[in-house]
Amino acid sequence: MPQNEAPLLEVRNVRKTFDSVVRALWDVSFSVYPNEIVGVVGENGAGKSTLMKILVGVFPPDSGEMYHLGSKVPFPKNPREAAGRGVSLVPQEKGVVMHLRVYQFLFLGHEDEFTSFWGLKTREMKRLARDILKELHIDCDVDSFMYDFSLPLQKLVEIAKAILTVRLRCKDPDITPIIILDEPTAPLAVEQREQLFEFIMKAKKTSSFIFVSHIIPEILNFADRIYVLRDGKVVAHHDSSSQKVTEEDIFKEIVGRSSSEYLYKTATSSTVRDRVCLSVKNLTKKGYYYDISFDLHEGECIGLFGTAGSGKVEIVRTLAGSMDFDDGSIVVDGHSLKGMEASYVGLKYGIGYFSGETGKELFLNWSIARNISILNLEKILKWNGLVISPAEENELAEEIMKKLRIKAPNPQTECYSLSGGNKQKVSVGKWMEKSPRILLLEDPTIGIDVGAREDIYEALLEMKKNGIAMILVSDDPKEYLLLCDRIAYIKSGRIEKIVSPEEFEAMIREE
Amino acid sequence: MKTLIGMIKNNFVLMVLILLVVVFICAYPKKFLSPVNISSIVRQFIRLSLFALGPTFVVVIGSMDLTYVGIWMLGGILVWYVSSWIGPFAILIYPILGFVTGLLVGVIQVKAKIPSFILTLSITVTYWGLTAWLSGGYPRRVKGFGFITASLLPYLPVALLWAIPIMIVAVFIMKRTRIGTYFYAIGSNEEGAELSGIDVEKYKILAFTLSGLFTGIGLIILFPLLGGSAPTELKLGSIVDPLIAIVLGGTPLVGGSGGPERTLLGALTFAVIQRGLSLTFWKPELIQLLLGLVVLGAILVGARKLKGMVIT
Repeated sequence: MPQNEAPLLEVRNVRKTFDSVVRALWDVSFSVYPNEIVGVVGENGAGKSTLMKILVGVFPPDSGEMYHLGSKVPFPKNPREAAGRGVSLVPQEKGVVMHLRVYQFLFLGHEDEFTSFWGLKTREMKRLARDILKELHIDCDVDSFMYDFSLPLQKLVEIAKAILTVRLRCKDPDITPIIILDEPTAPLAVEQREQLFEFIMKAKKTSSFIFVSHIIPEILNFADRIYVLRDGKVVAHHDSSSQKVTEEDIFKEIVGRSSSEYLYKTATSSTVRDRVCLSVKNLTKKGYYYDISFDLHEGECIGLFGTAGSGKVEIVRTLAGSMDFDDGSIVVDGHSLKGMEASYVGLKYGIGYFSGETGKELFLNWSIARNISILNLEKILKWNGLVISPAEENELAEEIMKKLRIKAPNPQTECYSLSGGNKQKVSVGKWMEKSPRILLLEDPTIGIDVGAREDIYEALLEMKKNGIAMILVSDDPKEYLLLCDRIAYIKSGRIEKIVSPEEFEAMIREE
Repeated sequence: MKTLIGMIKNNFVLMVLILLVVVFICAYPKKFLSPVNISSIVRQFIRLSLFALGPTFVVVIGSMDLTYVGIWMLGGILVWYVSSWIGPFAILIYPILGFVTGLLVGVIQVKAKIPSFILTLSITVTYWGLTAWLSGGYPRRVKGFGFITASLLPYLPVALLWAIPIMIVAVFIMKRTRIGTYFYAIGSNEEGAELSGIDVEKYKILAFTLSGLFTGIGLIILFPLLGGSAPTELKLGSIVDPLIAIVLGGTPLVGGSGGPERTLLGALTFAVIQRGLSLTFWKPELIQLLLGLVVLGAILVGARKLKGMVIT
């Protein structure tokens, strides 16, 4: 990185709070030089997206300064103004307009420049589109529809569009465009990612990229510099040309906990029973995971640990019935499950799925009581299962609210008005009352405060004690230590080894 | 008393209804409260609510059912066909046709995943075509169902007494049973409903089936009430009016909230507006225009109150 020349774009001491409470960014300084790839990593909610949105003018910061080619400029007010300075964002998803032809999509929003008395100058648009695709070595026909392309090819066309936007908006023709890629690899399979990386390395000759991701290995592989964000602050800044950083270093910085905190786990007697309730054999979904086999016992919690993109989430989703598999078998209490069997089929055999993604499984316009009772209707039905009893529904909810310390005036409080942590507790509460055979947990405490976490862990541990088996996937190693009896370390879609919590702890500490 | 005032305060439509009644009474004290006017409001209320109750189930799950007009038209001609063999039992054609239509629509909608609006619209147009074909092009009157709509007291039709149990059952299903709860769940958050172990497809089919069945049962009363024959021409009003009753009452078309009791309120309000405006000496065009604006206003206010929901 040429330190002597002025950065293409620089921001200093950017602060941003939402609703004057939530600190999204705190004194963040960040720069991009010509022809480099800047990696930005961090947990969900660390402030990555907020920073990017400020760079492209989606919203203004509370305070801070912006420098463009060394001179101070005001923050852009909208993406159009940002593009005038050479910055353009490729959104994480929903950026592609499927039913447009390639050239129409490329010039979407720039029709003004190609309008004549006779309508749009399609011939010129197509010629320019062909030129830029050729320049970037993207092999596709400008007359094809976007939906005809594979996901990575769509991504490439989106990047081409971003570069084109900068060229059309920016008065200076020699400017190096800065393209922000927000989690571009999230929907892609492993092989497809390679295609994208190859492209970016080539395109780097004429552009700079900001690469936002929480998949550490891919950032390490090809970013020139890496910023690590945590809780709205830049906690580390690595220059891969001058110092050697490892995956583990960055992992620690992202999670941001000292090793002593890993000692939290209280020594409790094992709750694992002898009976196997779920048996997975050679489960394979090409491009995501391969040959996954394990037996889950009653009262046991198995953690699937690995970096994002390792396939751990896909395994859990397959078990939940929202994803297909190619090969292998899933057997629950002697009954074999097919892939893509909707969740209600899984629940019939006792598999529940609990995701920390807020609002996914709650009915936000409903009361707490109804949200809990929806899973447990059989408990509050009267008259041979014909009528719901509101009194018993309330009682059920009050019990759960007390047990989980849900802070709300009464069971009739509607869920949209609750805080994130309390919403999560309602979700946990309904599963606690339901007590399924197996509970799949995907990031069960994501984005909620410490107090609410503790309450949820307590509830989950109690469920475990009652013989409920669990499978956990999370971004937080501490969670594995607290809940799991065995941890499967997953790398590139395969179980590399299965370790005990003690071994796991040692593994994390030494790294 | 306090709770009553609180209830009125929280219910925008109820406020509008009371306001309208007061305005119309002040403007036309004699005419509005005349027995003839009251009875025509009641008739209009029965018409709107019996047509709208069934579709309300479907609207709550976030879909749309327009088959009620088709069932009305085709059923009318089928009743005429079979009444020569089985006499007054011919009217039972309606619930049977309603049930079959609802089941059919439900299965097609769930299996083929077509938007329900288009699907049910095309079913209604198909039934219209069948009706025109079977009837030879003009309405066929069937007599012998007068007992259903005879006047109990002067001006108060028996039809209201028949309609009340239907309304109660509809409200009961939605408010107090597992079925109703599941309907609300599907409309509020379909993915969440599935994660809660609800067989979403099954309950969607059930919603359409119940919708058709309720329309069919309602038509047993409506058929004689509306003159003992069904139309052979598709009119916009007969499709739109029940929908207005549903939306005006406060059941949003995105589903998840509202319900039959709100539809009844909407039907009553709409009936009062229609009848009240017809007492004025304004031109029919102006009245139509005002009706449109009232509905627009109601939807705007209703949409603002949808919390925790994504409006699409």
